[in-house]
Amino acid sequence: MKSILACTLTAGMFAAGFVHAAELVVKVNDVRTPKGQLLMAVFDSAEAWDGKFEAVAKQALEASAGEVDFRFAGLAPGRYAVSVMHDENGNHKLDSNLIGMPVEGYGFSNDPQVMRKATFEEAAFDLGADNATIELHLR
Amino acid sequence: MNRRRFLLNALAGASALALAPSLLRARSLPSIAEAFASGLEANPWMAGWKSVAAESFGPGPATVEGRIPAELAGTLYRNGPALYERAGQRYEHWFDGDGMLHAWRLDQSGVSHQARMVATAKYRREQRAGRFVVPAAGTAIEGAEAIRNNDDMNTANTSVLCLGDRVFALWEAGSAIELSPEDLATLGPVTWRDELAAAPFSAHPLRDRDGSIWNFGSLDMLGGKGLLIWHLDSDGSLKEVATLTDGQPGYLHSFAMSERHLVFVLTPYRMREGKAFFERLRFAADLPCRVAVVAKDALAAPRWFDVDFGMVYHFADAFEQGREIVVRASRHGNPVAARSPFAAAMRGEVAAEEDPVELVELRIDLAGGSVRWDETGIRGTEFPTVDARATRPRQSRIYAPVRQGRALAPYPNAIASIDVHRGRMNVHRYGDEIMAEEHVFVAKPGSHRAGQGWLLGTLFDPVRGRSGLAVLDAEHLDAGPLASAWLPFMFPLGFHGAFRWDA
Repeated sequence: MKSILACTLTAGMFAAGFVHAAELVVKVNDVRTPKGQLLMAVFDSAEAWDGKFEAVAKQALEASAGEVDFRFAGLAPGRYAVSVMHDENGNHKLDSNLIGMPVEGYGFSNDPQVMRKATFEEAAFDLGADNATIELHLR
Repeated sequence: MNRRRFLLNALAGASALALAPSLLRARSLPSIAEAFASGLEANPWMAGWKSVAAESFGPGPATVEGRIPAELAGTLYRNGPALYERAGQRYEHWFDGDGMLHAWRLDQSGVSHQARMVATAKYRREQRAGRFVVPAAGTAIEGAEAIRNNDDMNTANTSVLCLGDRVFALWEAGSAIELSPEDLATLGPVTWRDELAAAPFSAHPLRDRDGSIWNFGSLDMLGGKGLLIWHLDSDGSLKEVATLTDGQPGYLHSFAMSERHLVFVLTPYRMREGKAFFERLRFAADLPCRVAVVAKDALAAPRWFDVDFGMVYHFADAFEQGREIVVRASRHGNPVAARSPFAAAMRGEVAAEEDPVELVELRIDLAGGSVRWDETGIRGTEFPTVDARATRPRQSRIYAPVRQGRALAPYPNAIASIDVHRGRMNVHRYGDEIMAEEHVFVAKPGSHRAGQGWLLGTLFDPVRGRSGLAVLDAEHLDAGPLASAWLPFMFPLGFHGAFRWDA
């Protein structure tokens, strides 16, 4: 019990920014076309992932075929999940066809092998106090 | 139990397992690729399921025996799965192989052949990777990468559609892939309308009398419900698209068309645990098939019927007789085996039992609301084709490869013209060692009577190591081929083709 309390306190301190915050680099591979932008969001909870709260960070970068690197500074240590979509036509959404199949690129941290939106747990990873780099593949 | 005891037990368990004889045996079992290689050595006919040796063939001449009819000038495009192995992994399901498109060009100067792998997104991705990395329809791929949608799995391996000047390689669950009719270079997937990108456009479109094209795409296979109905103009523009939904999951590979109706027979299935679609699928022989009859001028108002379970890949023709629709089809008798045709050959094994196929008539009584299967007693008729000009059963002949007499392979060795109405059959038997594939009907220019034309059928000769093409007079099959054209090499058996006249 004592240790759980200590952990909670520590987590609270990190969140409040008392300690050094990490930079997260997310390498996005397999960008199929240089058209449009890649839109990435970083979430810190399943609720945020499911749209009930804001993402903790968002970024848009011009697409270039192959690899695009995102950098997020100042993230407190914790559990995060990243989603990215390739907005080829600039309409700010992931286009899908009449039957609901996505027709633009998308991806999640951990590259879960699912043909649907991944869950927060499937995409979640731990970020410590140090800088970290993760890779994911656009599908 | 204390932690130390548990750990010891666990380790003991692990070592016992490691030494279990069954596991030792399992480790020494050959891979499917190795099993196929040794099966092929003992059974040369299994070369029909051997992974293709080259990315392309030709163009090059074939050696012609006999004479090509003077009026016959055009190209038979053929498609089929061809690439079954990469990096030691072999697909287990016939339908998984990447598609190769073949062009057999015929005229008075002779016959030439050319073939190229369809450069789908899947094929290009796996060429780069040097191994299978995309999930397959019938084989679990270890370490498969995530995919965007169904088109990332598209092998474009099933059939061909010729529409005006355009040629498309078709698959069951994704976009039509357009190729250059001249050099077979892949142009890419076709989007008939923006919001229909990647929507399934199945492999058996049917041409109506006005030249327009009807087709469907199964949504069940993609985790949805029901199917899409497509109607394209003869110029390739989309006229109409509609959805047809039903509560019960149903599999269908093709459909039938009569003068005023489209007929869809949905075979019930259940899904088990597993990775690949055909690995998980079990046809539910305890449930009835659902039959949708859709008037061509009222796509939104289908009539639904139940009929006893039956599993059909291919329909032949359909006729309206008063208030009855009669549909001819090749029905598979073994729903377990039908899930994966020639699965044994894919593993290099000789099947212990076959999947009997029978030509049947599906009789739909639109007035009384009942549907039944009628058996014709004619067996072994997969890959049926017809002359679509026939308007009555008495005019119709169904052309199907059949097996007659001794055969080296558990595969057709003959071509039959079947008059179901009169219960007659006219056959040409190619020989013990020849494997006969689909024969496409080509109407003679200027002819009007149904049946006046030629059959163009591909052949596989595993004994002499050659692939070929036969041209027969459709009304005189028993006279044998008017011409045969043979290549000095062979490539795997294919599925379906379409003929395009020279301009």
